Amino acid sequence: MKPTTISSDRDTAMSETLATRTVVVTDPAGVHARTAVAIAEVVRASKSSVILVMGDLRVVATDVLQIMTMVADQGKTIVLEAAGPNADAVLDLLEPLFAGKFGNGEQKSV
Amino acid sequence: MQKLQGIAVSPGVAIGEALVMDNEGFRIPRRFVARDTVVDEVERLDKSIAAAATEIAHHREAVSSELGEKYGAIFEAHLQMLQDARLRSELDEMIRQRHYSAEYAVSRILRRYAQVFQRLESSYLAERANDIFDIEKRLLRHLLGRRREGIAHLTSPVLVLAHNLTPSETANLDRRFVRGFVTEIGGPGSHTAIVAEALEIPAVVGTGPFLTEVSGGELVIIDGDKGLVILQPDEATLASYRREAEELRILATRLEPLRTLPAETRDGVHIQLFGNIEFPYEVDHCVNRGADGVGLYRTEFLYLGDETEPTEEVHFQAYSRVVQAMGDKPVVIRTFDLGADKMPNAPKPEDDRNPCLGLRSIRLALRNLPVFRTQLRAILRATTQGNVQVMFPLVSTLLELRQAKMVLADVMEDLQEHGIAFNRDVPVGMMVETPAAVMMVNRFVEEVDFLSIGTNDLVQYTLAVDRSNKDVVGLYNPVDPAVLKLIAMSLAAADRKDLPISMCGQMSGSPIYTMLLLGMGLRRFSVTPSAIPEVKNICRNATIAECQAVAARAMTMENARDVKNYLKEELKKHIQETTE
Repeated sequence: MKPTTISSDRDTAMSETLATRTVVVTDPAGVHARTAVAIAEVVRASKSSVILVMGDLRVVATDVLQIMTMVADQGKTIVLEAAGPNADAVLDLLEPLFAGKFGNGEQKSV
Repeated sequence: MQKLQGIAVSPGVAIGEALVMDNEGFRIPRRFVARDTVVDEVERLDKSIAAAATEIAHHREAVSSELGEKYGAIFEAHLQMLQDARLRSELDEMIRQRHYSAEYAVSRILRRYAQVFQRLESSYLAERANDIFDIEKRLLRHLLGRRREGIAHLTSPVLVLAHNLTPSETANLDRRFVRGFVTEIGGPGSHTAIVAEALEIPAVVGTGPFLTEVSGGELVIIDGDKGLVILQPDEATLASYRREAEELRILATRLEPLRTLPAETRDGVHIQLFGNIEFPYEVDHCVNRGADGVGLYRTEFLYLGDETEPTEEVHFQAYSRVVQAMGDKPVVIRTFDLGADKMPNAPKPEDDRNPCLGLRSIRLALRNLPVFRTQLRAILRATTQGNVQVMFPLVSTLLELRQAKMVLADVMEDLQEHGIAFNRDVPVGMMVETPAAVMMVNRFVEEVDFLSIGTNDLVQYTLAVDRSNKDVVGLYNPVDPAVLKLIAMSLAAADRKDLPISMCGQMSGSPIYTMLLLGMGLRRFSVTPSAIPEVKNICRNATIAECQAVAARAMTMENARDVKNYLKEELKKHIQETTE
């Protein structure tokens, strides 16, 4: 819903935008199972694809097992790379999850 | 070739085909599939993933509605982990490129993921490994389907490799076909160790994780003397072990004629050799080896098989079988030597941080009198059938001994009132296996009919070493000068009273210690039945004077390593001399 893209006019032809954002894990429990599930669900519900990058690790954001085995503890920095028609909007939804804030995600996971 | 070092718990060498069990006690099948069945294998994998997913989804619904969303979310996470795209492609590759079976691929890959968590320091995160094991098990259940089978139905000889073996698994196994055991965990007192010794097959425990490295049907060597397990042995190793196995067979045949000969030293001193047994059928091993009796009949097995406490009749049958088989030779029945965790129906101890120093053995018996009385009744009833003696384990104070004897006297009264026959003069003895018992042994000898030194626990308590702890097992040594002093004190106290004293720990069955013990004055050895011929052979080839010289020298040494090296040399010299 937010007018969020770093895209220029050229992108609208492909309706594809790229967005990156750096987040720090502030949830004391780190990125745990519930976070991983919430991340995957947000991304699946969008039309974008997202990669989580932590150090040398690059993980597809819908692969829950991979997200969990990254072992992203509190304080770790993760770069989110999104590509798709609503890339920036997806990142807006993802960001609070790393702080342990499950807003809409909780409703959706029913 | 890969060598694993574990703890040697039952001697001998076994060479044979591996039977690998998963951590639920089921067989993991072969590692490879034929090239032309790869596509079928991938299809099996997909079907199992789909079936497991449906199952988890059901679970999630059920748990959510019963316990709430929060708990259902755990299964949601499982479901999504299972459907991880990368996981699927990794499994696919294992099957297509390496021709792994679907089961093996699942086990291998999911365990690798679990290891990521297991390596972490935080126990909270390490717990997550269990989620992954859970998924692994679920997939394996679907993949193996009805082909999942335990070790009850075997058709050819195998070596059983497992994470751990439960008493019920070992109870159900087909003894005719199992030639050896290896378990990833466990120590010398583990159930596997006891069963292997009873079956007289080699076993190694506590190797650490290795099951993902081996596949059912592969050739494996178990060296139960050195505690080694060799996976995929090379030709030279295999040849050398085959030679060794052959030599052991020849030695056994050479010692066979000793069966009917007395255990007598060259200077004519008679030595008594008894057998240690756990299961009733082992009495046959004792009879076959010409044992002078059963010096230690452990009774823990009666409590380990089932969830229910054994009835008096179950006890009685087990004792009768052994007592009758031994005729008029003594059978020393030791009352249960269990930890509180092993006793069905007993309240779990509130504080069990240190089980070896906790509520176990005679302490547990005195706190659970009905259970203790049931066993004593059965033992007393068996006294009419032969030469039964009763022995209390882990006595550490005079008060404990007196209490135990009081319970026994009380049970006798009870039997008499009911007109049930028993031998009122049944000899009553105790194990000497705590330093406290040794320190007070001059008092104990006044109140018992016999003593038996249990070296396994005596060493553990004297040196403060847990044998199953890899980091300190090197400190566990029966010939540590401190232990030798305690043994000498016990022998001296019994000698003064002319009281029978035997030794029933593993020390008494190791030929390397035989001369030392003879020299120290021990005349009754209670050993695992398979060790009887070798110990007898040493007795028959030594004189007491020679042994006394060895013991005197050993007792002057300052540390266990020197003693052990010295005894090794002496044994070697001695064997060379006598075989020349």
